[in-house]
Amino acid sequence: MSDPVPGTKGGAGTAGGGRLAARGLTLAYEDRTVVHELDLAIPDGKVTVIVGPNACGKSTTLRALGRLLRPAGGAVLLDGRELARLPTKRIARAIGLLPQTPVAPEAITVADLVSRGRQPHQAWWKQWSEEDERAVVEAMERTDVAALADRSVDELSGGQRQRVWIAMALAQETDLLLLDEPTTYLDIAHQVEVLDLVRRLNRVRGRTVVVVLHDLNQAARYADHLVAMKEGRIVAEGPPGAIVTADLVREVFGLDAVVVPDPVTGSPLVVPGAPWRADTGAEATVTG
Amino acid sequence: MTAPAATATAGKRAAVRPAGYGLVRAGRTSFLVHRRSAAVATGLLLLLAAASVAYLCVGERFVEPAEVVRVLLGQDSPAAFVVEELRAPRLVVALAVGAAFGVAGALIQTVARNPLASPDIIGISQGAGAFTVAAMTFGLTSYTALPYLSIAGGVLASALVYVFAWRGGLHATRFVLIGIGFAIALRSLTTLFMTKGDYLVAQQAQIWMTGSLNGRGWDESAPIRWTLLITLPAVLWAARAQRTVSLDDSTATALGVRLGRVRLGLVAVGVVLASVATGVAGPVDFVALLAPQVARRMTRTAQIPLLCSALTGAAVVVLADLLGRRLFSPVELPVGVLTAAVGAPYLIWLIVRSRTAGGKA
Repeated sequence: MSDPVPGTKGGAGTAGGGRLAARGLTLAYEDRTVVHELDLAIPDGKVTVIVGPNACGKSTTLRALGRLLRPAGGAVLLDGRELARLPTKRIARAIGLLPQTPVAPEAITVADLVSRGRQPHQAWWKQWSEEDERAVVEAMERTDVAALADRSVDELSGGQRQRVWIAMALAQETDLLLLDEPTTYLDIAHQVEVLDLVRRLNRVRGRTVVVVLHDLNQAARYADHLVAMKEGRIVAEGPPGAIVTADLVREVFGLDAVVVPDPVTGSPLVVPGAPWRADTGAEATVTG
Repeated sequence: MTAPAATATAGKRAAVRPAGYGLVRAGRTSFLVHRRSAAVATGLLLLLAAASVAYLCVGERFVEPAEVVRVLLGQDSPAAFVVEELRAPRLVVALAVGAAFGVAGALIQTVARNPLASPDIIGISQGAGAFTVAAMTFGLTSYTALPYLSIAGGVLASALVYVFAWRGGLHATRFVLIGIGFAIALRSLTTLFMTKGDYLVAQQAQIWMTGSLNGRGWDESAPIRWTLLITLPAVLWAARAQRTVSLDDSTATALGVRLGRVRLGLVAVGVVLASVATGVAGPVDFVALLAPQVARRMTRTAQIPLLCSALTGAAVVVLADLLGRRLFSPVELPVGVLTAAVGAPYLIWLIVRSRTAGGKA
């Protein structure tokens, strides 16, 4: 049934040897430092979710992992080599990235957009190989957008459009897939649909996935490895069951909450308690 | 919504490729051809062929089409001088100028992702114009030399716009606004040169400024013919690069595109083509703005089609010059006056039509 997949190989067996890692990573916009000397190893073959409050530097970190942002200090390493020193096309064969709000050209069709994910595997004289065709067909079937192939992306619903973008990133056939808040602007059914798809890609294809989310419950539900960030630093990382506690929620989000087991999955479920009061102040330093 | 059985369906299926594309495959090489673009290009070529023959027939003395074809085939004909020495060179200039403006507009609009970012709006034509008119006032009036100065002017103006618009990246709106600012400043500078220069020079410059093909022959078309030939490989590369540059910055970078360099390359080719065309024929208004938009609406591609933009540009200039020569003969209208008159209504019609049809064509 399942075809051989030349694009996905390596990584899965080597324990602990993450292909993608950040060492002492400092990220800044102009003169404002957003992420401070971050060390992070992305475990291979797992779903890593980065969570944190708004402006904690999680999206910035993801963009740096996908070389969209140059480090102000430290480095991102792919297979032990500095990302900034690798040819961008070579990176594109290893790391796929879906930005937070991708923009499609006007009136582009679904199949046309998905096929552009093949760019790093193509050349001027090799615009459409059988390999490209196989990858695009597979990506569209995996994301259930094959039936929409000839439709214009403009006409699609938010959930459909997000699946098309994910299909494009899949067609790139990279071992690593980075998704920046893929559930933004989607209603809850579509959010679940997209996150289920992410998990399926990981479980069925063994792809290493890194997702940025701001919903802690979704993060706890879908992550194998959870990274909680605050003010440009990692506060805690590990399996959600081990690290998501009321203390962590208070420290990271400044929110009093009760953590109970999710009735469906057993993963930690955060139920907000009394909201943080103005007299204590959202900016108050957390003693911990 | 979710299909749990997705893994089982990943089997064999009919050949899929980007919708609307045909495939040409030979060994390990393969090319995608947008079917509708190919059809539109064929149609435009036929139109151009017909317009070209008409262009060669019509003039102070009408030459029968059959006679024109005889001349083109190299046979002896009493009309040989009129067709070969007077009309054909000017036709070649019209074709080359139109194609160059069409491609230049397509490239720069693609990079800026904004149809307003055309060389004739954002200061490139004006930079070329200021240099050319300045040279005229200093006594250089040869149309075989002026185009090279135009290139210098256009490149300088666009470099200034690029530098001023750059802020850690290239932002379309900023690029267009700064370009418009430079365009206005450069136009005043040109006017200043014209009022400083002597009367005859000012008159020549004035005609040049409206865009005219009058008196352009083989020698005068050499700069643009060479430029088109030299930039051809770059244009072929650009047609491919457009596929990713038309996506947003983050997505394009994630796909392994060196966006900064690719954009600079696309702009550079566009600037050189627009500048040299301006140098040869003056700033023929609206061709660079209209041709790509008209072409895109005809082909319905996701990015601006280069070949069809070139053909549309050429068709607009040839038809406009044909009309300009004959409409009020013996008085000849400069081609620039008519390109706008021919092109603008068609573009408006296309936009209105796509609105009423409810689709974004």
